[in-house]
Amino acid sequence: MSGHSFKEFPITWGMVIDIDKCTGCGACMASCQTENNVNPQPEATNKLRSTSWMLVYELTNDKAFPDHDVAFLPRPCQQCGNPPCVSVCPVVATDKNEDGGIVSQIYPRCIGCRYCVAACPYHVRYFGWYDPIWPEGMTKTLSPLTSVRPRGVVEKCTFCHHRWNLAKDAARAAGKDPEDLEDGAYVTACVQNCPSGALSFGDLKNPKHKVHELIKSPYAFRLLERLGTKPQVYYISRREWVRKLGDNYLKSEKTE
Amino acid sequence: MGVDRRAFLGLVAGGAVGTMFTPIPWKLLDDVSIWTQNWPWIPKVPKGQIDYVTTTSKLCPAGEGLKIMRVAGNPITASGNPAHPLSSGGVSALARSEVYMLYSPARVKSPMKKSGKAFVPITWEQALIEMADKLGAAKGSVACISGDQSGTVNEVLSAFVGKLGTAGYFMMPSEATTAAKGMQVMGGKGQAGYDFENADTVLVLGADIFETWGTSTRNRKAFSAKRPVGVKPASNYIYVGPTRNNTAAVCDQWIPASAADLGVVALGIAWHLIKAGATSAAPGFDTLRAVVNGGFGPDDVKRATGIEPAVLAGVAKALASSKAAMVVTGSPFGQGLGAGAFMAGMALNILLGRINKPGGVYALPELATVVPGAMTREAMLKADLPGFLKAVADGKKPAPKALLVYDANPAYGLPEAATMAKALEKIPYKVSFSSFMDETAAMCDLVLPNSLTLERYDDVVTPYGSGFCIYSLVTPYQKPVHDTRPTGDVILALARKLSIELKFDNFLQVLKEKVASLAKTSGGFVAKDVMPWQVAAGKPAPALAGGDLWKALSAGYAWTMVGSVTQTGLGFAPEVLAKAVKPGKTSGKTVTLAPYAQLRTGTPTTGIPCQDLTMVPDTELLGETTMVRMGSATAKALGVKPGAMVKLTGAGTHCKAQVHIFESVMTGVVSAPLGFGHTAFDIFSKGKGANYLALLPVTEEPGTGMSMWAAAEVKIA
Ligand code: SF4
Repeated sequence: MSGHSFKEFPITWGMVIDIDKCTGCGACMASCQTENNVNPQPEATNKLRSTSWMLVYELTNDKAFPDHDVAFLPRPCQQCGNPPCVSVCPVVATDKNEDGGIVSQIYPRCIGCRYCVAACPYHVRYFGWYDPIWPEGMTKTLSPLTSVRPRGVVEKCTFCHHRWNLAKDAARAAGKDPEDLEDGAYVTACVQNCPSGALSFGDLKNPKHKVHELIKSPYAFRLLERLGTKPQVYYISRREWVRKLGDNYLKSEKTE
Repeated sequence: MGVDRRAFLGLVAGGAVGTMFTPIPWKLLDDVSIWTQNWPWIPKVPKGQIDYVTTTSKLCPAGEGLKIMRVAGNPITASGNPAHPLSSGGVSALARSEVYMLYSPARVKSPMKKSGKAFVPITWEQALIEMADKLGAAKGSVACISGDQSGTVNEVLSAFVGKLGTAGYFMMPSEATTAAKGMQVMGGKGQAGYDFENADTVLVLGADIFETWGTSTRNRKAFSAKRPVGVKPASNYIYVGPTRNNTAAVCDQWIPASAADLGVVALGIAWHLIKAGATSAAPGFDTLRAVVNGGFGPDDVKRATGIEPAVLAGVAKALASSKAAMVVTGSPFGQGLGAGAFMAGMALNILLGRINKPGGVYALPELATVVPGAMTREAMLKADLPGFLKAVADGKKPAPKALLVYDANPAYGLPEAATMAKALEKIPYKVSFSSFMDETAAMCDLVLPNSLTLERYDDVVTPYGSGFCIYSLVTPYQKPVHDTRPTGDVILALARKLSIELKFDNFLQVLKEKVASLAKTSGGFVAKDVMPWQVAAGKPAPALAGGDLWKALSAGYAWTMVGSVTQTGLGFAPEVLAKAVKPGKTSGKTVTLAPYAQLRTGTPTTGIPCQDLTMVPDTELLGETTMVRMGSATAKALGVKPGAMVKLTGAGTHCKAQVHIFESVMTGVVSAPLGFGHTAFDIFSKGKGANYLALLPVTEEPGTGMSMWAAAEVKIA
């Protein structure tokens, strides 16, 4: 779709989200915001103007009571293998050249043209409409590990990339191979804090990592898989309607 | 810069069209973007050594242990402490807010005294002098309302007001107050504790166990442990309640039933169990059987609740055939359920033989008090706050001369708000020990700001819902951001001024003594390599290295004990049950209001944590309007359209709402979010939506005499 060829990375960080366990509490969103210096937003219910790199969607099977069902779908950046956002960026502020397969975003290079926002089918990219303002004193709680973005640039989930660097440093200090981290040595803030254990994280290519097996589950799927974006985020649900919705099947389409 | 970023980019874009095909403009744009982003008013991130310390959340009722990241000694973020049994690494959206709430604009920055309609700052010394004077004069008629369900500070407060001559010590109503009443009526002893970790079939009657009920973070960790990702679950969770809420969304089965009918459902299941041969030596079994057979057969239940007989029979079978079944009862929004439903749920646990068994309900002993003259938790939970305030408002009881409000916001967090406000206004002298300028603080004569979790020593003692006794410490990691003090210290200083002997000079001494008493409690251990639920399942409890307990607690470990109070008189109390559990009726053009609460909108004492507002979906709050949810059949019957603005009327007042069609609300019910409609706090809470709790009238539960407001009819127009 993007016109770029699919790139392979020896380490491919990925997330597996068990929709049948997510209760929609929002702790992952809170964790993401505080970890990544997203400022508190008094008008946050305006979803067209607010910023939340991790967003929990409410899915329903569209049936009437009592057959109605609900599921929650946490949505970080899908870190596509074939990212539509990259090819449309005129200033190469975003790229997929990095090891680990994380789609990067260089804020000082972004000119805020928002082509990537338009190109991303998952709506993971957020344009900073306003100056990032924290209530007085609250900037003391800023994390030193991520920059504060000015208004006018596009930002997005980076799989808490800074934590990877920390994990590599810790591995080096312990005399271990930083290119072969143990399962769990690097996890994102949302994964770490989810009280429901709905999120798992690891190297999709590393057989020693749990996610490597999980993505082979018959219940695993990716969002809008048919677009060919090859996301590194997988979802799992035993509910067929959830899986179908994940790939945007039309009601008239035959599925199985 | 004469040209701002937006204007500059506009200029460049104007010239860019014709030059698209040379790389030069892109390079220039690149440089320009870097240059325009060099804004001095964008906050710089702090630099310094990163380290991690541990404490326990006091803002979140789930009592989870926290791991705090600090930079150069300043707390930066809170996450779940993997070594704490009520967290196991998880954290709620509310507990996650512990750090940035330190800088919430709603914080009270120094002691404040009411002057006309406004507040003026005063010094702590002036505040103590004034209070000593006023409380001295109010002797014999001082009441206290506490919103802290799990802190030893209640011992200090209750001993203090006890010695002043108490007009009542009240806990804000919660699941704990309901359960305590239920246990007492049934002749039981101890606090009901739920062993989720070892249970394999869990019937949840109303309680939002994965969101606001009890130790919700730990409940979800336990749920998750039995459900490895992508594998067939090793547990079965059945939810009964008016909506498919956060809990029901992940349960294996949702059985729609109004909160008013939860007791009826439980007794309907009891009918099936008894028919299948369940029996019990507990007092009152024969009468219970008669009660159940007399009015809770499958057809009776179907008539009252709409639940098909086969559905209840299926639940009874699932419970009876599982090795470790457990029934958990609670209000879908954490308060207002009468004791009847709790008793009916406990009756099922007794019938199933699940009391003091792994994967069942433990009766947990209370830890010994250390402050002389302090009330026990059991005694504190007995008082009925809404009932008391209602009687004061109606003139049936005299108003106390003075009221101390600790970590509570009764003017906002109680049902029938207008009545409660009327009662509070009748109390001539009121002091609030609140960290934030909440609705109650705004009504008080004096506001003495409590230091927040990260600024004070405190503790969390066996929060309601925990399946084991647990004690964890709250440790300060920074000087108070504002001129605040821990309330425990303030009360002890005040006691000295009034020559009231409370044995301790400061609150840290109280905590040290509490910990010393734990070190002497046999059976207690520090949960480290062995967790309490493993001990409940038969693993030997490790020994406690007594001298090191304070150190271990300071390092973020919790003291735990798998305890069960021997029951001598626990029975079914069938006479009370028969009165309290009655099928509900709805009439004509009204619907039943089913509020729901979520931790992301905070508690009455915290308001909406500023960063958590982003988590609120636009199907719940849009701009300044909150939405109520109802199924399309209900909307049609009421004649309201999706998205319409409606007026909800109940308890002599009304609230606005927008209609959101959501089919996972049972027909005849309208579901409304709590946590909104603040008139106090800050830009993140104030003026956002409506407080639907105000629409619920308080009624007296037949049989138990307890105040209840879990379900009420409202008019929608
Ligand atoms: S923290 Fe976990 S349970 Fe809560 S919304 Fe996020 S993924 Fe779902």
